[in-house]
Amino acid sequence: MRFKTDLRNIRTFSKLVAALNSLEKIAWVRLDDETVRFTVIPDTGSQVWASLSVDLIFDSYHIQSAEPNNTINLELPLGPLQRALKSAAGSNQANLRLTKRDGIPMLSMTIHAMTKDGAQDARAGGPYGNQFGGGGHHNPDDPFGDASDIFQQESLELTMKREREKVITQDIPVRVLHPDTVETIMQPKVREPDVHIQLPPLLQLKAISDRFTKLAMTTSSSSRGGGGASQNPKLELSANMFGSLRLRLAAESLDITSVWDGLENPELDPSQLSIPLDEHPSTRFKQAGPDKWATVRVDGKDWSRVLSVGRLEGRVIACFADDHALILYVYVPHQDDASAEDVVTVSHSRGCPD
Amino acid sequence: MVLSFTLSEEGVAVLHDALACMFKFSDDVCLEAKKDKLILTTLNISKSAYICFTFAANRFFSRYHFEGNSQYRDRFFCQLYIRSLLSVFRARQSSGEGAGRESVIERCEVAIEDGPGKKSRLIARVTCRNGITASHSLAFEPKAPTHAKFDKTEATNHWAISSRTLRQLMDHFGPGIELLDINTDDDTRVVNFTCFTEKVQRRGANNNEAVLKKPLHTNIAVEMDEFDDVGVEDKLHIIISVKDFRAILQHAQLISGDLTTRYSNPGRPMKLSYNSDGVLCEFILMTVGEEDAIVQRHKNPRAKSATANAARSELDSGAGRASSVVNESQARNTQGKGQSQAQAQSSARNPAARPKTPPRPRQPGFDIRPQPNPPASARSTRSDSLFVGQVEDDQQWEPLDEEEEEAGNDRLEWNSNNEPNPSALRFSSYANPPAQTQPPEPEQLMSGLEPTQRLSQACLLPT
Repeated sequence: MRFKTDLRNIRTFSKLVAALNSLEKIAWVRLDDETVRFTVIPDTGSQVWASLSVDLIFDSYHIQSAEPNNTINLELPLGPLQRALKSAAGSNQANLRLTKRDGIPMLSMTIHAMTKDGAQDARAGGPYGNQFGGGGHHNPDDPFGDASDIFQQESLELTMKREREKVITQDIPVRVLHPDTVETIMQPKVREPDVHIQLPPLLQLKAISDRFTKLAMTTSSSSRGGGGASQNPKLELSANMFGSLRLRLAAESLDITSVWDGLENPELDPSQLSIPLDEHPSTRFKQAGPDKWATVRVDGKDWSRVLSVGRLEGRVIACFADDHALILYVYVPHQDDASAEDVVTVSHSRGCPD
Repeated sequence: MVLSFTLSEEGVAVLHDALACMFKFSDDVCLEAKKDKLILTTLNISKSAYICFTFAANRFFSRYHFEGNSQYRDRFFCQLYIRSLLSVFRARQSSGEGAGRESVIERCEVAIEDGPGKKSRLIARVTCRNGITASHSLAFEPKAPTHAKFDKTEATNHWAISSRTLRQLMDHFGPGIELLDINTDDDTRVVNFTCFTEKVQRRGANNNEAVLKKPLHTNIAVEMDEFDDVGVEDKLHIIISVKDFRAILQHAQLISGDLTTRYSNPGRPMKLSYNSDGVLCEFILMTVGEEDAIVQRHKNPRAKSATANAARSELDSGAGRASSVVNESQARNTQGKGQSQAQAQSSARNPAARPKTPPRPRQPGFDIRPQPNPPASARSTRSDSLFVGQVEDDQQWEPLDEEEEEAGNDRLEWNSNNEPNPSALRFSSYANPPAQTQPPEPEQLMSGLEPTQRLSQACLLPT
């Protein structure tokens, strides 16, 4: 079993991991010849199935295993991975390989980086750095202090002298999963959606949703004294096939709604459908007019975590299965190829909405 | 008046930084004044770290006058609370840009009064740029400083490097690590900085989820060419506490310049120093002994305390030697001093007889590291606005804060129906593990300290 690759688009990779990490601490990663798949399945709440083509985040990719398609299944903690990627951000070069240390499998990230040895960096970095009004007055008479107003001299001198590349190794503990273990984990099957709609900017949606959730928590705790408010606040999300999205909070003492209009309901590609377009539920919803809404109820806090995928800066299509499930498809643009996109799926199943 | 000096605006800031650095190790500081220098020293409670800042009288101060009196002829010493000194020298920061300049400290005059029939006081008169003058009067304790011994001839390993470079490298280390292993490899011509923790793994952990809970293991290899003056025994591993090292670098990068180290073998002290004109900063840290580390690993099932203690072998106190310098004619107070030294010695032997001051719980996080969670204030202000600007701010993507809200809810739940809210409890324990695990740490440390220290002493005796 071998896995070795260079990293590219570290920023995107890092954002994906951050988004996953807000839902669950441990991810299942499946690597094979063509794709990298990240899956998080929290005990409660939304799941994420992120499938990326290898070249989105990897370069010079080598994988080898006894499984078909050279598949390797790993379980890894997202926190350390995120931390390691942060370390790799801004590096000259970074690679990732599967290895063992003290008998424990590790995903080892090797980072070649320089330090920014500038005076300004150093000064801004410290908590006490800002109070000195930027002057190099700390050491008024020392040889470096003479250049207090022309910091470049100092940093240039140091850089020229002996700035060398540092090699940083970040070892992330992993578990290698047996194919049998992962065989049973299946992406949930959801019926064809009733409404599909492109969401407004997620940061905006998240800000409003969070506000609603907070309001719900405040009112429930103040009016009922916590008696029956054991559940997290529920938000009601609805969309129609006429470009409208509705976010509603209905609590005992208040009922507020935010509506977005003029959103896009993307056309379905008939060749991708298992049923003729005419029989597709979305066609029926469209025919029923703008008052026909598909509605799901989401847990406010879980929804907030889900919306953190917005940091990937992709296009997000929400698919509503009325009273049943909500699936978000996040299309991550490729940095160097604007037409190529990868999809991150966040499924938000609500089997029995309350 | 025993001692008086004036600090410039810069001097105040430097002194404040020095005290802030010391505060990370200890609650109080020993001030020692001589004709030509002012020395601040402190020793941390477990006596594993000693800090000494020396300020040259003629270069650091705008005015310095040591008068002495019959009691303190050659040197004056006292012990002060760092916290109160910090508040005196703290730069008055205000929100407004223009106003900030105004309220900045322009200079500070410090006078120490002591002697027979006089009140023992440190008086600091702070003059701000806006004309306001504030006078502080601080009480102090007459206590002789304890100086850690460091044998330069023994410490043959040494290197120096830009403190800023080193400080930036520390950013690569993740949370949850406790020990830093500094080692060299002559073949590849690198110095390795390896961070690790000794959190004990359960046996056969390979198939356990515990494996995934191990923190990030980080190694940074720095080419020897980047160091000044490297002379280290090949493959020698020297281990110190990450927390101490971070605190030192945090300060060192403010002073800038090179950080120089000297050390000998595991279990022996290591000295780190740096200076700028007029200020010399020296730290003596006890390194983790090989035996200590091994004994700890096997003896103590509780990893937390094991590592904490392993790093905390005591430094030799040089108090005895220091006191011999004291003039013979001061016999009447040497008695008092002798007592305090005896106290220091006995507390070294017997942790139970520690000074009354309880160990200040260390700040769990380091300032130099970005906080895992945004501060509460930042979060609440953020959620107050419905629409947020498109400025890139990664924190905006953080999920809605749970703990803040649920803390209130939980209590209500519990009180009303005497039953915890299961989902909320699970949630918060998940979302905030550090909060759950951190608080008991100091207790563990204390309870675990006693046996360990004796053990380490036992180990040290033969040498």
